[in-house]
Amino acid sequence: MRARLARFAVSAAVIGAALLAWELAVRFGYLKPYQFPPASRIARGFVELSTTGFPTGVSIWSHTLVTIGRVLQGYLAALVLAIPLGLLIGALPFLDRLTAPVVVFCRSIATLSLLPLVIVWFGAGELTKIVLIAYGCFWTMLSNVIAGVRYVDPMLIRAARSFGVAGIELYRTVVLPAALPRIFAGARMALGVGFMVIVGAEMIGTIEGLGALIMEARTFYRSEITMIGMLVIGMLGFAISSGLAGLERLLLPWSGSLDEVRR
Amino acid sequence: MAPRAHLALRRPEWSRGEHPVVNVPFIEISSVRKSFPARGGGAVSVLSGIDLAIAENEFVSLVGRSGCGKTTLLNIIAGLEAASGGSVAIAGRPVTGPGQGQGVVFQQHALFPWLAAVDNVGFGFRNAGLSKRQRRARSMELLRLVGLQAAATKYPRELSGGMQQRVSIARALALDPQILLMDEPFGALDELTRIELQQELLRIWQARRKTVVFVTHSINEALILSDRIVLLAANPGRIKRIFEVGMERPRSRTAPSFNALYEDIWNELSS
Ligand SMILES: Nc1ncnc2c1ncn2[C@@H]1O[C@H](COP(=O)(O)OP(=O)(O)OP(=O)(O)O)[C@@H](O)[C@H]1O
Ligand SMILES: [Mg+2]
Repeated sequence: MRARLARFAVSAAVIGAALLAWELAVRFGYLKPYQFPPASRIARGFVELSTTGFPTGVSIWSHTLVTIGRVLQGYLAALVLAIPLGLLIGALPFLDRLTAPVVVFCRSIATLSLLPLVIVWFGAGELTKIVLIAYGCFWTMLSNVIAGVRYVDPMLIRAARSFGVAGIELYRTVVLPAALPRIFAGARMALGVGFMVIVGAEMIGTIEGLGALIMEARTFYRSEITMIGMLVIGMLGFAISSGLAGLERLLLPWSGSLDEVRR
Repeated sequence: MAPRAHLALRRPEWSRGEHPVVNVPFIEISSVRKSFPARGGGAVSVLSGIDLAIAENEFVSLVGRSGCGKTTLLNIIAGLEAASGGSVAIAGRPVTGPGQGQGVVFQQHALFPWLAAVDNVGFGFRNAGLSKRQRRARSMELLRLVGLQAAATKYPRELSGGMQQRVSIARALALDPQILLMDEPFGALDELTRIELQQELLRIWQARRKTVVFVTHSINEALILSDRIVLLAANPGRIKRIFEVGMERPRSRTAPSFNALYEDIWNELSS
């Protein structure tokens, strides 16, 4: 506890010093404020964003809520599709061999490069954004679910078989629980992908959402607002990821994997 | 024998008939071969021409250098791996898979990480047709047998290596198997715990009349426990020599006959 407090104090001091140096560098003209907005300017921008809003009438809170809503819709749609499909593909080796190239291929396509096509298919509205997020999350989730059920410690399978457990019962009682940590890890990674895609997806056809905020700020050279957008996205990602980690600790108390990997 | 009656479950169909006639081997291993596909084509021969007959209630140890095929042979007897040639029969019936009376204690930790100790043991009862409560009661009983009732609700990662190994033993005993196949079960333990568990195993073996095939790297351990010690040679794995131990139990580690036999086995192993 003491050590943690000390570590925290040190990091706070380092960040504080960096911000102060930044502030001074701008004051004395070494850095241009529209290129490197200092903390004071970002704070003022934040006040403006949470009162009048930017563009006027759209506060930072509604930007944030809209973005969360879109990410969640796409993300959940992806999970709902990817988990059962992954469990199926992972259970059947021939299906896995058949689909592996497709999965790798689709996963490798940068999601945003699909933007033009998706606009042609679904227009420039809400659906397009959600489809893009879902696409990005889906392949990440799918490959993790498949990997989770494919690579179960063979010793555990043997142990179960030594008690005559086989087939669907083996899958349900051993493969599935053994795959859960990897499935959770996939869910956390997919969420990260969702937040990566959202900014790009919101850059067209909307003035609401953090991506739109960042784009709009660019047009007016309001770098501090761009930064606020980035900060909020970062914090959101962090908060939701921590929430998922907490959920995992709650649901999988037996898994020590989280103690080693904090992502 | 009270404890046995208490724990006895429905015996599998095949074992309900009359006991095998004396002198008819209970486990009969005939010309068993095993080869694995080698990287870059071809095959590596891991076991060749293994012939071994084990009597009912016999305690047999397998010793031999690392990689000589002990685990592979045990897996074949367990019905978890198919031989490439030859056959294994238990009580005259060819082994085609697990569940023919074999209980296995694996070399590495093979406990289910998501199950508490008591549920890991309970996993052994999956297909025994017991109610949840009966399963739990029996599992607790087995944990008590290995001295772990206090750790019943702990997950494997919260147990020490030795405790995990004891849970594995309790789990292997769940269906009261006629045959216990144990792969270096005490390998990772401190000397004191190891000796305690050896005594415990002997007690279980004697009280419940089991046939044990026991893999170990310790000649000492093999001498304390076994009726016979089978020495395997490597590349490919084959039986080099079989030693009859023939000493009364409990055995003394300091008896001259103990040391003489130790010497013999050591010389054969290292030659
Ligand atoms: N699935 C496999 N594929 C290829 N080779 C294998 C496989 N399993 C075992 N082997 C090889 O077979 C040989 C015997 O392995 P095994 O595990 O039976 O040895 P062991 O006598 O139990 O050794 P140890 O004392 O170290 O546990 C080794 O050389 C090993 O490399
Ligand atoms: Mg081995």
